[in-house]
Amino acid sequence: MVNVQNVTFSYTKRAELLSNLSLALETGRIHGLLGKNGEGKSTLLKLISGLDFPKSGSIETMGFNPIKRNPDMLQEIFFLPEELPQLTLSIANYENVYAPFYPNFSTEQFNAYLKEFDITDKTLKLNKLSHGQKKKVFIAFGLATNTKLLLMDEPTNGLDIPSKGQFRRMVASAIDENRCLLISTHQVHDLDSLIDSIIVMEKHEIVFNQPIENITKKLFFRVADRNEKDENVIYSEDTLRGLYQVCENTTGEESKLDIELLFNAILTEKNKIVKLF
Amino acid sequence: MNTTLNINRLGLLLKRYFLENKQRELTFWGITMVVFTLMHLAGAQDKFISVEIYLFISGFIFAAGTFKAFNFTPSGMHYLLIPATHLEKLVTAIILSTFYFFVCTLITYTIGTALGTTIGNIFLDMHNPIQFTLFQSTPDFIVNGHSIHKAGNALLNTFIGFAGVQSVFMLGSTHFKGNAVGKTMLAVIAVSIVLGIIELFLLKATFGTYHLDGQMLNFSITQNQNMFTGLETAGTIFKYALIPFFWVVTYFRLTEKEV
Repeated sequence: MVNVQNVTFSYTKRAELLSNLSLALETGRIHGLLGKNGEGKSTLLKLISGLDFPKSGSIETMGFNPIKRNPDMLQEIFFLPEELPQLTLSIANYENVYAPFYPNFSTEQFNAYLKEFDITDKTLKLNKLSHGQKKKVFIAFGLATNTKLLLMDEPTNGLDIPSKGQFRRMVASAIDENRCLLISTHQVHDLDSLIDSIIVMEKHEIVFNQPIENITKKLFFRVADRNEKDENVIYSEDTLRGLYQVCENTTGEESKLDIELLFNAILTEKNKIVKLF
Repeated sequence: MNTTLNINRLGLLLKRYFLENKQRELTFWGITMVVFTLMHLAGAQDKFISVEIYLFISGFIFAAGTFKAFNFTPSGMHYLLIPATHLEKLVTAIILSTFYFFVCTLITYTIGTALGTTIGNIFLDMHNPIQFTLFQSTPDFIVNGHSIHKAGNALLNTFIGFAGVQSVFMLGSTHFKGNAVGKTMLAVIAVSIVLGIIELFLLKATFGTYHLDGQMLNFSITQNQNMFTGLETAGTIFKYALIPFFWVVTYFRLTEKEV
C-alpha cells in the first residue's frame, strides 16, 4: 500500500526532520504512528500523500509517486489534518461539492456516521461549527469516501469523551482488508484497542514498527508489586497503583498491551526492546 | 481515467468555486453594478478610463486571490488533495480569473450603464443617450502616417491587457504566501525598474543619449517600413505570448507547491 524507502526530508537546509526513513504499510490494518512533538509524524503523512516532497529517497503510495499528485491516487486517499480548512460551505454543500471526486463515496454511510456523532442538521455551515464538531464532519466524510488509504493526524484532538468512543467504533467498523489507516497521535489512550500495528518515531526515524500480535508475543505488560523482583523487566514506571512494567515475554502468555507504557519503554530502553524483534 | 484534463472534474472544480463563494460573488457583482450605475448617472462620456481602471484593479485583486488557499496551510493541503490534476486546477483558475471575471464585468457594465444613464435622464433631468464606450473603438494613434493603435480592437486590446495583468497576479498568488496583491505589485515595480534601466543603457549605447526628447516621433520610417512592420509583429507576438508564458509558469509553480 505504502512503501517509503530511505527518505530524507527537511524544511530548512540546516536541520533534517526525517533522515533515511523507511516504512512499509500493509492493507487491512490500522497503524498507529506515535512519537514526541516535532519528530516528523505529520510530515511523514504529508510525504505519503504528496503534499511535501522528499529531498532524497523514494515513496510509493498505492503504486504511484505521490509528488505527481495523480488524481487516480488522490481519489483513493483521504487525509484528515490536525488543523482543518476554513470553509464557508454547509455540510450538505460540502458533500455536494467534494463527494463526486471520490468514486466510492457513500451518502448512506456519511449520514450514518454523522448521526452517530449526533449531527443531524446538514444545513449547518462548517465555519459556524466548533472545532470538535467540524472534526466529526470530516471524520465522517473521510470514512464515507471509502478510500483505500486514510491518513489521520491527531483525529481525536478536540473530540469530547463520548465522541472518542464513537470514533473508535466507527473506524473499527470502516476498515476492511482493502483499506489501510495510518493514525498519527500523541493521545495513545484514544487508540486503545483500535490499532493493530504500532510505529514509533524517535530522533527523526522509525525506531519501532510491529503488529500488536508480535508485540504481545514478545513483551509482557503487567502491574507488579514494588517488592517483586523480576530479571525479565525491561522498563517500569512507579505509579500509585504499583509498578507498571514491560517485561520480556518468556512464557508465551499474552497480556493486554499498554500503548503508553510501550511507547515510554521504547523511548527509554530502545535497544533492549528492538533486540527482541 | 484521463489524468490530464477531464471535463467532468473541471466542471466539479468550477461548481466547487461557485458554491464556496456564492455569497462573495453576489456581493461583489452587486457592488460593481452599483458602481457602474453611479458612474453613468451623468452620461457615458469619458467613462472609458474609469471603467478600465475599475476592471483592472478589481481584476488583479481577484486574480491575486486565485490560490489564496495556500495562505493557510490546512486550506492549501485541502486544495492540493482535491482529486484533480494540476492542469484542471490551473484551467479552472484561468477561466475564473480571466474569462469569467471579464464577462461578468462586461455584463454588469452594460446593465450599470443602461441603468445609470436612464436614472440620470429621469431623475437628474438629463438627456444623455445610452452609450457603451467600452465597446467603442478608440481613434487611431498615427505616427508618421502609420497606425499604432488599430481602431476596432479596443475591447480586444482591453481584454489582452487585462488577461496579461491577471496572469501575472495569478502567478503571484501561487508564489507568495499572504498579501499576494502587494508583493506581486512590488515585484512588478521592481522588474519594471530593472527593464527601465536596461532601456536607458540601450538608448545610451544606440543613440549616445539617455533621453530622446520626443525625437522618436520625427524619425522617418517610410523607408524602413519593413523594419517597422517587423518590430510591430514582434511586439504583438511578445504581447500575446506573455499571457500563456505566465500561465505555464503558474502551472509549474502549482506542480512544485509544497504545504
